[in-house]
Amino acid sequence: DSHIQYERVGADVTMKCGSMDWDAAVTWTANGTDIDDSHLNGSYLILKNVDLTQSGQYSCYEGSSWHLKYQTYLRVGTPPKEPVLMCRSNNYPKGFYCSWHLPSPTYIPNSFNISVIHGTREMVCEKDIFPKNRCHIRYLQLFSTVKYKVTLTVTNALGKNSTSLTFDEFAIVKPDPPESVVAKPVPNNPRRLEVAWQNPSSWPDPESFPLKFFLRYRPLILDQWQHVELSDGTSHTITDAYAGKEYIIQVAAKDNDIGTWSDWSVAVHATPWTEEPKHLTTEAQITETTSTSTSSFVPPPTTKICDKGAVVGSGAVAVCWTAGLVLAAYGVLFI
Amino acid sequence: GDSWGIFAFLCAALCNLPAVPALNGTEELGAGQSIQKTYDLTRYLEHQLRTLAGTYLNYLGPPFNEPDFNPPRLARAEQVPSATVDLDLWRGLTDNARLAANYRAYSRLLCYLRGLDGQAGTAELRHRLGHFCSSLQGLVVSIAGVMSSLGYPLPAGPAGPPLPPGAPAAPNDFLKKMDDFWLLKELQTWLWRSAKDFNRLKKKVPPAVVTLRLEARGF
Repeated sequence: DSHIQYERVGADVTMKCGSMDWDAAVTWTANGTDIDDSHLNGSYLILKNVDLTQSGQYSCYEGSSWHLKYQTYLRVGTPPKEPVLMCRSNNYPKGFYCSWHLPSPTYIPNSFNISVIHGTREMVCEKDIFPKNRCHIRYLQLFSTVKYKVTLTVTNALGKNSTSLTFDEFAIVKPDPPESVVAKPVPNNPRRLEVAWQNPSSWPDPESFPLKFFLRYRPLILDQWQHVELSDGTSHTITDAYAGKEYIIQVAAKDNDIGTWSDWSVAVHATPWTEEPKHLTTEAQITETTSTSTSSFVPPPTTKICDKGAVVGSGAVAVCWTAGLVLAAYGVLFI
Repeated sequence: GDSWGIFAFLCAALCNLPAVPALNGTEELGAGQSIQKTYDLTRYLEHQLRTLAGTYLNYLGPPFNEPDFNPPRLARAEQVPSATVDLDLWRGLTDNARLAANYRAYSRLLCYLRGLDGQAGTAELRHRLGHFCSSLQGLVVSIAGVMSSLGYPLPAGPAGPPLPPGAPAAPNDFLKKMDDFWLLKELQTWLWRSAKDFNRLKKKVPPAVVTLRLEARGF
C-alpha cells in the first residue's frame, strides 16, 4: 500500500515494512536508491533528526523476491507559524478585503480558514480566485460602531496556528494610489510643470466619498521632497521648478475624512520647458556675414537694448556691456 | 446618583433648542455655503472629540480606555441615536430626510452629553466638555439653518421621540460608565457619517439653486 506521511523537521522517524515481521529480511530504497543497512533496525527503517532533503518516496522490498511490500511518500515539514493577516478597504463603502501569508514556509500543504464576526453576526468572506490567500466582504451596514473581528486559522498535518484582527469600519480605509499620473512641461514657462492624474479605479463612489491628494516632487539631483496637499481636483501646476532640471513626481490619495493615505503612485519624470538654443547659431551666421561685408566700424542702430547678434560677438561689444550686465542680473534672479 | 432613564426623560421634556432666528443674513450666503460651513464644523468637532474622548475614557479607567475594548451592545444603549444605517437606504435618503436625521441625532446627543458635565472628574475636564457642548450646539443650529434655507421644516417636538419614562436606570457604576462609553462612540461615528452626509448634500445643492428659489419667493 502507498500513502503520504508527514513528519516534523528534526523528528526521529521509524518506518515499518507493512505487515512484515521485525526480523524479516528487507531492502529499503529512497527514491529508487538502496538505503544502507546502518539505518535499519531489523526490518524497520530508522531516520534520525530528519531534514527537508529526506523528503521522498520510500519503498520496502522483501529480501529475496523483491516484492514491493510497502511504499510511502515522506514529506518533512513544520507546523505553521503564526500567520500574518491584513485587512483593508480600498473600495469604501462597498466593503473590504483581507489577505494573509505565512512568515516562513512549512514545505507541506496548508489550508486556511477565515471567519469574520461583526457584533453577534458571522459574515462570510468570499475567497478570491486570484490572488490566492485573499477574501472579500461586502458591507451590509455603514457607519457601524461595532468592531469587526477577523480570525484566520491555518492548519496542516503537523499542527495549526491562528491570528486575529479587530478593527473599526473607518480604521482600515486606504485607497489604492492614483492612476494615470502624467506630468508635462508648460510651453514658454521654464519653471512650471503640469501634473494630472485620475482617481484609483477601485474607488467606487468619488462623488459621495471624495478623495484628497498629496503630491510630492523633487529634482532628481536633490534628496529633499516638496509637498502639496490638494483637497479638490485631479491636477496641479508646479510653479517653482528649477529651470532645466529633470523632476520626479508622485501622488497619493486619501478619503477626505477617514482612513489613511494610499501608497505613492508610480513615479513620473518631467523636465520644465527650456528655450530652444537654435537662436544662437543663426545669430552667429548673421554676425559673420555683416563683419565680412563691412570694413569700417558701423555704429549700431539707436536702440537702448542691443540686438542679440551684436552681443554674441562683434566689434560693437563695448557699447552693449550695460545691456549685458542687465541681462546677467536677470539671469541670476531666475536661477 | 443620576439615573439614565430619568435623565433621558428630562432630556425629552426639557431640551429646548433656541428657535432659529430669521435668516435674512444667511440666505444671501446660499445653502451651498451653509452646507460647506456645516461640513467644516463636523470636521472640527470630530477632531476635538478625538482628544476629549481619550481624556474622558482615561477618567473612566480600564477597560473603557483600552483600544481593543469591544463590548457587546446592551439593549439600554439603544436609546442613543445610532449612525449605523443600511448602505442602500443611506444612499437613497432624500436631502430632507438626510438633514433631519442629522438634526435629530445631534439634538439628542447634545442632551446626553450635557448630562456628563456634572459628574466628570476634574474641573478642566468639565470645562472642556462644556466647550464641546457649545460647539455641538453650534452644529445643531447650523443644520437647522441649512434646512430652513432649503425650505424644509425642522423636525417637530422636543429633541427626538419621547422616551419611555420607565426606562431602566443604570443600576451600578460600571453600567453607567458603559453608557458613557457608547455615547462617545456613537457621537464619534455620527461625526464621521455627517461628513459624508454633507459631502452628498454639497454636490446636490449648488448655491445657484438657492438664488433661484429666493427670487421665486420675491426676496
